[in-house]
Amino acid sequence: MKVFRSHLLICGGTGCHASGSLNVKKALVAELVKRKLSEEIKIVETGCNGFCAMGPIMVVYPEGVIYMLIKAEDIPELVEEHLIKGRILERLLYREPTTEEIIPTMQEIPFFALQELRVLRNRGLIDPEKIEEYIARDGYQGMAKALTEMTAADIVQEILASGLRGRGGAGFPTGLKWKFAAASPGEVKYVLCNADEGDPGAFMDRSVLEADPHAVIEGMVIAAKAIGSGHGYVYCRAEYPLAISRLNIAIGQAKDMGLLGNNILGTGFDFDLEIYQGAGAFVCGEETALMTSIEGKRGMPRPRPPFPAIAGLWQRPSVLNNVETLANIGQIILRGGAWYASVGTEKSKGTKVFALTGDVNNVGLVEVPMGTTLGTIVYDIGGGIPKGKKFKAAQLGGPSGGMIPIQHLNAPIDYEKVAELGAIMGSGGMIVMNEDSCAVDMARFFMDFCQDESCGKCTPCREGTKRMLQILTNITQGKGKEGDIELLEEMAPIIKDASLCGLGQTAPNPVLSTIRYFRKEYEDHIRNHRCNAAVCTALFKSPCQHTCPIEMDIPSYIALIRANRMEDAYKVLLRTNPFPSVCGRVCDHKCQTKCRRGKMDEPIAIKFLKRFITDNAPRPKIEPVPVTRNEKIAVVGAGPAGLTAARDLALRGYKVTVFEELPEPGGMLRWAIPAYRLPRNILANEIADVTSLGVEIKCNIRVGRELSFDKLKKDYDYVYMAPGAHKSQKMGVAGEELPGVYGGVEFLRDFNAHEDAWVKGEKTMGSKVAVIGGGNSAIDAARVALRLGADVTILYRRERKDMPAADEEIIAAEDEGIKFEYLVAPLKIEAKDGKVSGITCERMKLGEFDRSGRRKPVAIPGSAFTLAVDAIVAAIGQVPDLTFVPKDSGVSVNKWDTFDLAEGSKSQTTDARFYAGGDAVTGPDTVIGAIAAGHQAARDMDAAIRLANSEAAYEEPVEEKIDIPLIIDEEGEEAPQGKMPELHGAERKTSFVEVELGFSMEDAVKEAARCLRCDAEV
Amino acid sequence: MAKITIEDLKKIKERVHAETALRDGHLRVKVTVHMGTCGIASGAKEVMDALLKEIEEAGVTDVAVTTSGCMGLCSREPLVTVEILNQDPIKYEYMNSNKMRQVFKRHILEGEIQNPFVLARGAETQK
Repeated sequence: MKVFRSHLLICGGTGCHASGSLNVKKALVAELVKRKLSEEIKIVETGCNGFCAMGPIMVVYPEGVIYMLIKAEDIPELVEEHLIKGRILERLLYREPTTEEIIPTMQEIPFFALQELRVLRNRGLIDPEKIEEYIARDGYQGMAKALTEMTAADIVQEILASGLRGRGGAGFPTGLKWKFAAASPGEVKYVLCNADEGDPGAFMDRSVLEADPHAVIEGMVIAAKAIGSGHGYVYCRAEYPLAISRLNIAIGQAKDMGLLGNNILGTGFDFDLEIYQGAGAFVCGEETALMTSIEGKRGMPRPRPPFPAIAGLWQRPSVLNNVETLANIGQIILRGGAWYASVGTEKSKGTKVFALTGDVNNVGLVEVPMGTTLGTIVYDIGGGIPKGKKFKAAQLGGPSGGMIPIQHLNAPIDYEKVAELGAIMGSGGMIVMNEDSCAVDMARFFMDFCQDESCGKCTPCREGTKRMLQILTNITQGKGKEGDIELLEEMAPIIKDASLCGLGQTAPNPVLSTIRYFRKEYEDHIRNHRCNAAVCTALFKSPCQHTCPIEMDIPSYIALIRANRMEDAYKVLLRTNPFPSVCGRVCDHKCQTKCRRGKMDEPIAIKFLKRFITDNAPRPKIEPVPVTRNEKIAVVGAGPAGLTAARDLALRGYKVTVFEELPEPGGMLRWAIPAYRLPRNILANEIADVTSLGVEIKCNIRVGRELSFDKLKKDYDYVYMAPGAHKSQKMGVAGEELPGVYGGVEFLRDFNAHEDAWVKGEKTMGSKVAVIGGGNSAIDAARVALRLGADVTILYRRERKDMPAADEEIIAAEDEGIKFEYLVAPLKIEAKDGKVSGITCERMKLGEFDRSGRRKPVAIPGSAFTLAVDAIVAAIGQVPDLTFVPKDSGVSVNKWDTFDLAEGSKSQTTDARFYAGGDAVTGPDTVIGAIAAGHQAARDMDAAIRLANSEAAYEEPVEEKIDIPLIIDEEGEEAPQGKMPELHGAERKTSFVEVELGFSMEDAVKEAARCLRCDAEV
Repeated sequence: MAKITIEDLKKIKERVHAETALRDGHLRVKVTVHMGTCGIASGAKEVMDALLKEIEEAGVTDVAVTTSGCMGLCSREPLVTVEILNQDPIKYEYMNSNKMRQVFKRHILEGEIQNPFVLARGAETQK
């Protein structure tokens, strides 16, 4: 025995090889020689460790410290620090993606800690090229037991008792398969191993063969004894050279030791094994096609029956098992079927290996008990979705499977549940998709794969997949027709029923599954030519423009900044957006979430660039538009929706009057958003542009109070109602009516109406303030209270990453010194002398996933605590106040206190002369959403009026032609998004001066030059 | 290679298991040889070699050897810390190969602390 003080286990799976582990190993060997440590420290190259995303990986024993993403250059420092000085080299350790916590040992990293290793029990622990290391970990003990202590029937019985089901995908009980083959008469029988893994995204079979090849060999010998076979084949695709090489070494070693071949272990049992290399056709993973291929013929399936258990390879009884199935066998025999069945669900026993890949932080191999929830795999083990994106669905079972969408994150994954949800277990490829994946495109991709791989023997599969692919391709290119979805649904079951083998029988699954869960996406593609994930490029010019609710021509104005043509850039903004300087400050910039540059480094700062144009270009002069139409139009509410509609209608020649309850127009822009985010004069200028067109705004008039609803109905031909959502939701806790408890928007409105009084201290809320909620209005309220001199704590019932508020707002609040308490919910408001004295809260922990894909907070019993405060702002959501609409008016209001729209219309209410939009229809939404609603209403109202008058449809006036320069840099260098300069110091925390200072010319041009110009056509 | 029997299978298992036991995490004793520049200069390397040789000869599988940097007492190097599971760590000073062999046989294997070489008991704590 040679003792080493330390073992370095370096991952030598294909994944780590590809990321450079061979060079790392070479450097390590050289460094140990140089440092004269080769006699004390042993290097072991293992198979796949499982954490492929982080490769090359090395585990140092005895400490169990795991280093990741190692480069050859790191080796001298690593050896010096860890192996000589005994200090852990922190910079190469695992960093938890959300908390940034550094975790040194493998057992503590959730990715490893939450797994249960049976099939993968030796991964990263043994040298797969040394049979002794396998034997040291109970290797071949199961085989020895099967050959000496058990009869064939005993073995079958044990496997039946274990409940093991075929891990290749179909889930047929392995014991039953063996039983049939054992009962089948014949001198010559075959044991076959299916290692023709070919699903996009699945790589567990390859990893098992690379990391633990002897486990598969052992399983095959046991299977041979069970059915009475003397010869076997491993059918492995030639694209797996490392797996084949290691398996060859393993077979050689086993033969040398007498663990394969004649008279195994002196028991008199003979079994020989060879590898058959497949050429990589997907169809050869099909049982009968695989056998045909081994026979030397073209790999095509044949009809069953006869089943392989009766007449398989060369018409002899055969069993075919998948790699993962066989790797389980040795342990089952050694430890017993009951041990195996002790984990799992009622009908699905044991563990399952998943190849976790796609949009997930911890890409790699994961082995968990059957019944583990999808959410646990994706979030706890997988570490969630990179860049804080939202989970959309997981594709399970590759091109033969289906999607499991966000609302089923709590689903326990086993054969039954997965089938119920419309997917299949398959071999266990789990492709995680985020919100940037298009369901139709995914279906098209998988159909393309199946169509490509269809062997052509049977017509339903050969022609059916081709037709389905054509229809799907048309839909993704904007050439979809009504009835396409129904046609796909009609074809799918026919192809499934009539195809000869599993390939055709499962090929329609991804289509059916995506239609089941994402039918609306199909309809959007077909009817509106919209791809909300901004994937199907034939449907749009650029992803940012497609994502903007008013489709602003973003690439054009960014190109104009780069060309220093600010005046033209401003004109481009105003074509679609009456409030560009507002949006340049407070828009939630959905466009940036789909910016292609974000896939390279960070998205373009579209919002900041928009603001730069409005700050620096001369404002185009607005001329009044002559009133050419007879119809009189009223708008209720002077917020962004109402004013946009008024402007559009005025431009079309209508006389428009806007009624506003509050003393000044602007809606939430004026009455909720504080001046440090949106200075008053900026807003006032853009509102003035609307009145300059001839729109009349009458303030201090509330419909139903100063002006009756009936009079409105009588005096105006058409009415657009956009009153917003200005009423805070109640928390529903005791003490909410006390003085000192404010609603979020009510507090902001009062402050914005009486700013002077608040700032001078004539109005005050006290020195300690708690704000409840996690949205933008909670942050606004907190930052205002801070500026009024209060010590502010935000209480939120979930975690920071779940807050709906804009990230930059949360960061700004943190920078200003606002305290955050996460995972707390209010229970009761405490009072003293009739005034608020504190708030009692309960701590929460995160439970199951809700339909939005976030974990539901659940109260921790006995965790209540009281926070002493003088005032409480409850900013947990808003609802519209639609009490001005009489019940019998014919305009219908629903139980969520929003307007019902007429069937098929995007803006008309249940009374044909009344239209509605903005928050009062959608519930609280964004500025840009309100502007989009205003445009929509103006178009719809004008169209309805012209239709009623039998007039021709409105024609947009010809726009001034602005030619857009096309400068594209050949080589883009990685560069992060430009930072917005901000106000700092005491002035920021005590005044309402604008915090964001705006880009300089240099900043703006540099940022504009980062644009990849997705709009360019070549 | 000769064909093996079931008995051989067990022997291989036991032999190799001893070599790879380090990766299992079932360790009874951890010995730290302090290998800062001072330690190496005063002979820590020879101390460690002796220790590894002893472990090999004794065939024990539950003793881990690690190194660490200078612990700040350069004048008393080579220093060796012996930590037996659930016991206070013992620091030995002025070690050499012979003393190391003695500590291994008497303390690590038999549990008898070699008082004449002891510098300190217990772990250093940080304030």
